[in-house]
Amino acid sequence: MRAPPGSAPKFLNLSQIRFPIGAIASIGHRISGVLLLVTLPLLALALDRSLRSEAEFEALRDLVSAPGRALLLVVVVWAASHHVLAGLRHLLMDMGIGSRLAQARTSAWAAIVAAGVIALAAAVRWLS
Amino acid sequence: MRLFLGQRAWMLQRATAVVLLIFLAAAAAMLLAGPRLSYERWHALATSPHGAVLIVVLFAALALHGWIGIRDIVLDYIHPPAGRLLLLGLIALVLIAIVIRVALTMAAHFTTAG
Amino acid sequence: MSADGEEEDMRISIYRFNPETDAKPRMQDYDVTPEAGDKKLLDALMRLKTVDDSLSFRRSCREGVCGSDAMNINGRNGLACLTSLAGLKEPVVLRPLPGFPVIRDLIVDMTQFFAHYHAIKPYLINDELAPEHERLQTPQERDRLNGLYECILCACCSAFCPSYWWNPDKFVGPAGLLQAYRFISDSRDTATAERLAYLDDVYRLYRCRTIMNCTEVCPKGLSPSHAIERIRLALVRESS
Repeated sequence: MRAPPGSAPKFLNLSQIRFPIGAIASIGHRISGVLLLVTLPLLALALDRSLRSEAEFEALRDLVSAPGRALLLVVVVWAASHHVLAGLRHLLMDMGIGSRLAQARTSAWAAIVAAGVIALAAAVRWLS
Repeated sequence: MRLFLGQRAWMLQRATAVVLLIFLAAAAAMLLAGPRLSYERWHALATSPHGAVLIVVLFAALALHGWIGIRDIVLDYIHPPAGRLLLLGLIALVLIAIVIRVALTMAAHFTTAG
Repeated sequence: MSADGEEEDMRISIYRFNPETDAKPRMQDYDVTPEAGDKKLLDALMRLKTVDDSLSFRRSCREGVCGSDAMNINGRNGLACLTSLAGLKEPVVLRPLPGFPVIRDLIVDMTQFFAHYHAIKPYLINDELAPEHERLQTPQERDRLNGLYECILCACCSAFCPSYWWNPDKFVGPAGLLQAYRFISDSRDTATAERLAYLDDVYRLYRCRTIMNCTEVCPKGLSPSHAIERIRLALVRESS
């Protein structure tokens, strides 16, 4: 049972690779970016609604009253927080600030934790 | 699209990021420092000449930043050139449509603001 | 027997693939008893060869300068000859460098990796009249090569870079980019503009997302991410 010629396997099972904290911050940055892009049309919609009448404005503010929607908004809050904080980290590293390995690890942890804390705060505020 | 090759796209991504950060800081300052935002205050701000233009600029910056970002993802994972072109083109159209929609929205509310 | 009189058995689980007999790869468990002088993972692997000589891996200098024995050790890339047995979590899981085509067991095809290295022209380009003796450099100019010339092309970095995994044919990768910067930084080289122009491409340089996996695993303590950062700044300066 030999492998067909020219079909060399590759080891690329991501679950068997031990990623450093910077990689975790980075994939979070990518995922949160996609999430935010998907919410952009909804943001445009919300803008329109918020200006139409006071009733619709208040209705938007009231979105968090339903736990299902509140949960989704918590995810959006996490996405925005993580993307901004990880993005800020990238901007600073591009300028040479905090781009040494030890500093980069610390800032990755900080971004991940801070975004988590903000999302948690939103969850506590809206889901309790 | 000369603008989106190599270094230009990377710079533009950073530039739009900075613009968006400024917006975020301003919004945060406004919302956290002042009293709870009322419909009247929001409407007045958003439909003022400066406000309306800024909102359109905000969405344009978001769309541009988002497009460059999603482009990186497509370039990483989608390999057939035709598929890439199609996907990026589609996303570009959707984003342009959103920005136009926002511009029209602001124009509509602006004229009714009186 | 080791120095403190204990005989410790090590469990090592190794990725096996023989293209002549296997349809797909598998993991094989081994138990090895390191002797007193065995300090590094490579020592354990050499000992395993006496138990199973079909086990295949590259190795040469055994002191971390040739780069042959790069592999994925417990999920992170590293050199077997520089990885201490002490403190190594068991079972020790060894797999080939991620993303590289596997020739056999832990031996991977480095063709693409070296193609990128050659493409960045890893040699001094200076068509000016050659001086009688050396092309001189001040100590400061020579210092600019520190952290760049020491690369042993082991591929631990490029094989740990997600951007390189997704586009190994088009993205130059951390090792190639570090070497590109080595020549860009060399005061004796006059092809800086051309070198930068080659890299100014949405794939060649700009797949890098500053994930920094490269710097995390470099066994020589180098920072390809820093070199890439400097190339980006050089490109910005050039365009303004």
